[in-house]
Amino acid sequence: MLSDQRYWNPVLETLPHGKIRDLQFSKFKRIFRWAYDHSKFHRSLYQKAGIAPDDVRSFQDIHLIPTVEKSMMRDIQRKDPFPYGDALCVPLEDVVEFRQTSGTTGQPVYQPDTWVDWEWWSECWSFILWAQGYRPADRVFIPFGYNIFVAFWAGHYAAEKIGCEVVPGGVLDTKARILKIQELRSTAMMATPTYVLGMADTAKNKMGIDPSTLTIRKITCAGEPGASIPSTKRRMEEAWNAKVYDHAGATEIGAWSFECQAQPGGLHVNEALFLVEIVDVETGAPIHEPGRQGKMVITALDRQAQPCIRFDSKDVIEWSPEPCPCGRTFRLIKGGVIGRADDITKVKGVLLSPSAIEEVVRGIEGLSDEYEVEVDRVGDVDDILLKVELMPGGQGDRHRIEAELKDQLRLKTNLGYRLEFYDYGTLPRYEVKAKRFKDRRKGH
Amino acid sequence: MRDPMERRLNLDGINAKIHLLKETAEELRLLADIFPAVLRNTDRILASVKMLEINVSDVLDLEKPGP
Repeated sequence: MLSDQRYWNPVLETLPHGKIRDLQFSKFKRIFRWAYDHSKFHRSLYQKAGIAPDDVRSFQDIHLIPTVEKSMMRDIQRKDPFPYGDALCVPLEDVVEFRQTSGTTGQPVYQPDTWVDWEWWSECWSFILWAQGYRPADRVFIPFGYNIFVAFWAGHYAAEKIGCEVVPGGVLDTKARILKIQELRSTAMMATPTYVLGMADTAKNKMGIDPSTLTIRKITCAGEPGASIPSTKRRMEEAWNAKVYDHAGATEIGAWSFECQAQPGGLHVNEALFLVEIVDVETGAPIHEPGRQGKMVITALDRQAQPCIRFDSKDVIEWSPEPCPCGRTFRLIKGGVIGRADDITKVKGVLLSPSAIEEVVRGIEGLSDEYEVEVDRVGDVDDILLKVELMPGGQGDRHRIEAELKDQLRLKTNLGYRLEFYDYGTLPRYEVKAKRFKDRRKGH
Repeated sequence: MRDPMERRLNLDGINAKIHLLKETAEELRLLADIFPAVLRNTDRILASVKMLEINVSDVLDLEKPGP
């Protein structure tokens, strides 16, 4: 039966690595030539670097091609062909979809897609959802404010393509969404980790509904790294009595990675559709071996309207040394996206990743899911303030929690913190992506 | 050498039909240049054909001898 098939694409997902590389190289040459021939922005970039399509003769030659950064895309946009500017590779009338980045790191970047690109988006997501066990019998609830952000749009269309029944939870508020899940007995859901936990909190503490008694049995997360942070994943899985799977993607890249049902502690890179390179954060030198962190440079091998070629994503990742028991030959990145090169910052001379703090906070019983981190400079010394919330009735347990929190933070991040404890429900709540890390030091 | 799964799937047969589908849709598109309903629906078919190429033809065509 179709539903028994383990892979969305049994050919591509089990290709020997050498063959994947051949496929990637062939497709890279094709998309590079396409961008060179159709985008003034890309041609000018490559001409300045003295490289043309015929110069790409081996895999190693790819490393000679200049990378593209988000700031470069910002600079060329809002000009003709309006509003996309010179990276647009197709006539404006072929663009059928507009999306934009969230603008978390600056002015948003516009993303045009043709109908082929839009089909490609849902194809990328079909690999994800099939690997996570979505099948035609599923009723998928999508509690997402369908809007200018790409978020779960492609998840919606991929679920349709797979044959699931899709319930768009668009403008409903959180309580109405929970009631609709209950009413329709939805079996799967897609949301950011922040919202998955927020929904569970609302159901339990404001509606008297235990979310684990609902029928959601798998949840696909995106937008934040939480589903790859063990303590956050565990909180979500326990709250909903569901398997929680991570996926990483981006508006200007596509849906490039996914966790499979084996939950191997990492994400598969969809190497049939994307070429992922890991480079040293300082030197830019390629990192091929597992176990060494670097930032991701990525190429979407089939995206046409506004190509994504050697895009410097700033995501920090590392190759896993182990193959996945699921049998896919697409390589794993260990622990998902570990952080962003521009988020992993030096505090008191130590590299600090916000997700390491999340792992500690969410691993301590008696603390709520919410927290905030503020880094400031007092005189010549960095100061880290961590605000956490006690669960209702947790005051009596505060000394135990504080001691455990201090110990774990010291152990996992090598840093000391000032701690502030707040009553349950007083720290800000977020519906989509949370903004919990604030660096107030000059120049940050 | 193809593995057993690839042999069982008759990939060459699938690939041949994908090429035929594309050729047919492209011919249909030429016939429908002033017929919006046919033209735009054919464009959607061609977008789906592109996904078939991504899933099957791109990797199979690697094995074909170059020009």
